[in-house]
Amino acid sequence: MASSGDPSAVVVPRNFRLLEELERGEKGIGDGSVSYGMDDADDIYMRSWTGTIIGPHNTVHEGRIYQLKLFCDKDYPDRPPTVKFHSRINMTCVNPENGLVDQRKFSLLSNWRREYTMEAILTQLKKEMAASHNRKLVQPPEGTFF
Amino acid sequence: MGGGGGEAGGGDGGESSPAAAAAAAVAGAAALHIRCANGSKFTVRADLDATVGAFKEVVAGSCDVPAAQQRLIYKGRILKDEQTLESYGVETDHTIHMVRGAGPPAGSAAPAAASPQASAAPSSGPTDGLGSLFPGLGGTGTAGTRPSGLFGSGFPELDQMQQQLSQNPNLMREIMNMPMMQNLMNNPDLIRNMIMNNPQMRDIIDRNPDLAHVLNDPSVLRQTLEAARNPEIMREMMRNTDRAMSNIESSPEGFNMLRRMYETVQEPFLNATTMGGEGNTAPNPFSALLGNQGSNQPRDPATNAPNTGSESTTGTPAPNTNPLPNPWSSNAGGAQGATRAGSTGNARTGATGGLGGLGSADLSSLFGGLAGNTGTGATGGLGGLGSADLGSLLGGSPDSSSLSQILQNPVMMQMMQNIMSDPQSMNQLLNFNPNTRNLMESNTQLREMFQNPEFIRQLTSPETMQQLLSFQQTLLSQLGQNQPRQDGSQGGNATGMRGNVSLDTLMGMLSGLGAGGGIGVPNTSNVPPEELYATQLTQLREMGFIDTAENIQALVATAGNVNAAVERLLGNLGQ
Repeated sequence: MASSGDPSAVVVPRNFRLLEELERGEKGIGDGSVSYGMDDADDIYMRSWTGTIIGPHNTVHEGRIYQLKLFCDKDYPDRPPTVKFHSRINMTCVNPENGLVDQRKFSLLSNWRREYTMEAILTQLKKEMAASHNRKLVQPPEGTFF
Repeated sequence: MGGGGGEAGGGDGGESSPAAAAAAAVAGAAALHIRCANGSKFTVRADLDATVGAFKEVVAGSCDVPAAQQRLIYKGRILKDEQTLESYGVETDHTIHMVRGAGPPAGSAAPAAASPQASAAPSSGPTDGLGSLFPGLGGTGTAGTRPSGLFGSGFPELDQMQQQLSQNPNLMREIMNMPMMQNLMNNPDLIRNMIMNNPQMRDIIDRNPDLAHVLNDPSVLRQTLEAARNPEIMREMMRNTDRAMSNIESSPEGFNMLRRMYETVQEPFLNATTMGGEGNTAPNPFSALLGNQGSNQPRDPATNAPNTGSESTTGTPAPNTNPLPNPWSSNAGGAQGATRAGSTGNARTGATGGLGGLGSADLSSLFGGLAGNTGTGATGGLGGLGSADLGSLLGGSPDSSSLSQILQNPVMMQMMQNIMSDPQSMNQLLNFNPNTRNLMESNTQLREMFQNPEFIRQLTSPETMQQLLSFQQTLLSQLGQNQPRQDGSQGGNATGMRGNVSLDTLMGMLSGLGAGGGIGVPNTSNVPPEELYATQLTQLREMGFIDTAENIQALVATAGNVNAAVERLLGNLGQ
């Protein structure tokens, strides 16, 4: 595709990229504390995804499972997906009304790069949960949803 | 736009060979990889048309997590027991994540008996006795897994304790029947001391001598605690009180009598518990019971709407119509994040839903009077004490008289004797603090000394305490008393008074001495950091920090402090 030797110059089309992410999600490759997959197997555009984050140890989130919705529009991965928590959570970068992750307050989305993946988003959100400003915040009851 | 949601070709992800997958297909069962939250991984074989519930039983055979506690996640979805694996699109060689969840809710916990002397029935429900309530104390708990415990680690947060107690009334009965609790309830002096430390409470009791007998009567205290643990008894007591009040009100002079009681007892009592009044120099530990109503100002009767009834008189204040908080609600003990400003000027953030409403009562102000001058340390109740200083734990810089007073208390003496006579509990106490644990491991002679009951008895004698205090003061004067305090994140907001060396600092010094070096010289050894910080590395990995080299670098830079290492790693990510 690109004649230069730099591998980052190769632009992987959206579909191949999402298929690769789908396989990684199914095979459980990568970080074991997050999981993700497609919402609707019949959606040929592969836009709607579901993710889960297992609450990190030594925080108020420990033992909880947080469910998220990720929406990869047609301009993904050039633009970041829309990330929305389905499970209720109290976090500085999450809108307490609707569960949307605020792109301005979440560094990975505000400084989005094409090579970032949905797994990277979930992993970074988990790290954010373990950060000092989030790890001890009082959380809504488990099992409540936005 | 090809390729729907189907399987992406290309490789097996390095999970298992195609031959293994083929063998599984022949056997009629799919090979599925189970990945646990701690990173471990194993493979099980199961029919894809089997239900998730049946699959959990298969998984339970391969690991130590019972089926009832398993929570399985596949492709971002939590699998429901009644669905089949096939319905979720599970295929051979795929990975399912497993998290250990809480067990199923208790079927029907028997209501607590009315008498505290009732024999404790075996616990039913999700808890397994005191070991699970205080992990790190019992045989079942694992010390060091929870942040900001009472002595650094091993103790749960108060809201977790409250949750477990509310789920299992038998557990509360078990605690109530413990000899220590019985001693505490049969020792009115200790409780009287705690209450009399509040100058306003002392004033009320002086003006109403008939109230003093309540503090001297263990049966009243026992009845109160019984009501606190059993909502049924509480409701019954409330019903009886309501009935009595309506009977009194209906009699001719009854209402005036109630009004007088309100003016002379209830209103001053509420003022005392909401930190009102003059000259109250210490934040009141009982103010937590009233949540957001706690304020610096005394409750002003004039703010209440005047009573227009025929019984009311113009010169007297009308009864307060503010509703009391519900002790059974999850927010008892203070609204979330409600900040109560003590009259000393230091703001305190209320811990949400503490044990029976006493969530944010800090020990420093509770024991303030015992230790000379009340301190401003150790905010955040029991859960947030972490590695609080001795000084802030005792409410200020303790002097020998106050320490000996505490140590000579019969309850305290009995507790000390129990601990000293049992080497196992002594070991657990020493292992609570990682610094002490390291010190003991590196110095076998010291461990032997601490195993010797005679040595411990000498160590806890008032004379030795006096010497230790003077040693601490000497150290302080030598250090110049102007060193910056340790980061409060590990100590759970411990903001002790200036001039108190925190336990961690003192332990750091002692560990330096133990190695034969000078004061403040760390006990350096040639152990590689991978081994030295093995537990911290595991914690960081579980938090999602995968780069081992970076983790080691951060831990070395922060001397093994996980919190500081996390901050450092997150700082690196932002750049």
